[in-house]
Amino acid sequence: MGFTYPTDGNPNQHHFPDGGGGGGVRERASSDDFGRAVSRVAVAQICETAGFNGVKNSAIEALSDVAIRYLIDLGKIAEFYANLAGRSQCSVFDLILGLEDLEQVKGFIGSGQSQCLLGSGTLKDLMRFVNCADEVPFAQPIPNFPVIRHRKVIPSFSQMGEAPPSKHIPPWLPALPDPHTYIHTPVWGERTCDPREDKIEQARQRRKAERSLLSLQKRLLLSSGSVETRNTTSNVVVPSGGGASLRQGEGEGGDKNPYLKAPVDNKDVSPVPLPGKLSDDVDMIANHVSVLEAFGPAIEMMRSSGVLCEDDGMEGRAVLPAVRPTVYFKFRAGKKLIRESLDMRNQKKDASRTAALAGREDERDDKKRRAELILKQSMENPQELTLL
Amino acid sequence: MNPNHNPQSSDGGRHDDDAALTEFLASLMDYTPTIPDELVEHYLAKSGFQSPDIRLTRLVAVATQKFVAEVAGDALQHCKARQATIPKDKRDRQQKDKRLVLTMEDLTKALHDYGVNVRHQEYFADSPSTGMDPATRDE
Repeated sequence: MGFTYPTDGNPNQHHFPDGGGGGGVRERASSDDFGRAVSRVAVAQICETAGFNGVKNSAIEALSDVAIRYLIDLGKIAEFYANLAGRSQCSVFDLILGLEDLEQVKGFIGSGQSQCLLGSGTLKDLMRFVNCADEVPFAQPIPNFPVIRHRKVIPSFSQMGEAPPSKHIPPWLPALPDPHTYIHTPVWGERTCDPREDKIEQARQRRKAERSLLSLQKRLLLSSGSVETRNTTSNVVVPSGGGASLRQGEGEGGDKNPYLKAPVDNKDVSPVPLPGKLSDDVDMIANHVSVLEAFGPAIEMMRSSGVLCEDDGMEGRAVLPAVRPTVYFKFRAGKKLIRESLDMRNQKKDASRTAALAGREDERDDKKRRAELILKQSMENPQELTLL
Repeated sequence: MNPNHNPQSSDGGRHDDDAALTEFLASLMDYTPTIPDELVEHYLAKSGFQSPDIRLTRLVAVATQKFVAEVAGDALQHCKARQATIPKDKRDRQQKDKRLVLTMEDLTKALHDYGVNVRHQEYFADSPSTGMDPATRDE
């Protein structure tokens, strides 16, 4: 079994002659890499059992390669002996013969090849090894490899249940593709595709959606604006300390609306945070997204172009009820009105109760609740969506 | 070899060997070799070895393990022998004794006894004239 074994036996490996610089080329992965890696680990474990504290890289690679070759050689020789005896399956005796063949190099153990293979020295030696050696199982569980990937195969004619189109094609061949994949058939009742018209329609729908959103925002602004101006003139005690500074801020800059009076029922109203432009208190609204700032330019533009004037048909809808239920100038069922007013009042009550504890968070939640209520209303009344 | 054995003793011996082999193959199933079964099966399938019996693959695994263990043992002997001959003071040698490392040198010597001739490149040079005398390099 003597053969010369070059240690850079992996042909894909490159050894850089320039002293290892140049980054190291990436070796191309061969199909046997996994087997080699596993064998490396196994051989390293055997070396550790033998008494080594460490191994050099080149040495362990060489030894693992030798181990793999030993495996392959043993299998080949055993298979050869089986075939020689006229069998295709190997038996234990073929293996013993193969082992003895490989042992020849070192010399025969025992008295050479005995008459009966059962008494061979090699086998006895192996038995002794198994009995004496410590059992060191492999470090990690390994899946069955190589992993066979099942490819999706095209079914044959007979599997599809089709008959091949002509006699020269046998039925076990893969089926021909369906005719719709390569034949162009006319389509009836097709909508005439006009890209220009489609774009115009799309733009119109987008504009409609934007308009409705902006009008909603505008109404929210107006409602918050009306609350603020009311707060400047009312004698309502503002519960939170932050609210007090807010009132001072708006007292300086906000104009007093003579048309707005203090509410009759002295409810505690949670102050509404001002948008950035009107308030001097920057800390208060530091992390509050100003609706006015965000939508100001858009609203101005739309106002100038007269788009928002379209909803002139619904006066009074512009001012949302903020403090107490106002009379809607809308022709709606009375029941719904009462229900809504009750909702608002309940919400106001809740808001005022907790206002003492947390000023800022509550205002924002209040606004959110109002916005959600409006959206809910619009959802419930789809016929009024067109008026938006 | 003497073909005319005493039939009785050979028969008796054969039965013993037979029993021993059967017992050995059975004990193989308890013993887990260091080389995993999947690896052995993969390479045996590559070489054409066909056997549905797991005991035979275990036998091959154990035989390979024995081979590698013997080579490693021989290399260890070489390594220890080399450390013994190094003429250094006791403190250095004790430090080195703690670290037994398998090197190509020891492996080459060990494998040579088994008929495997390993050729190992000792170093790689930048160019053919590296390490040469500067005077001769200029020429």
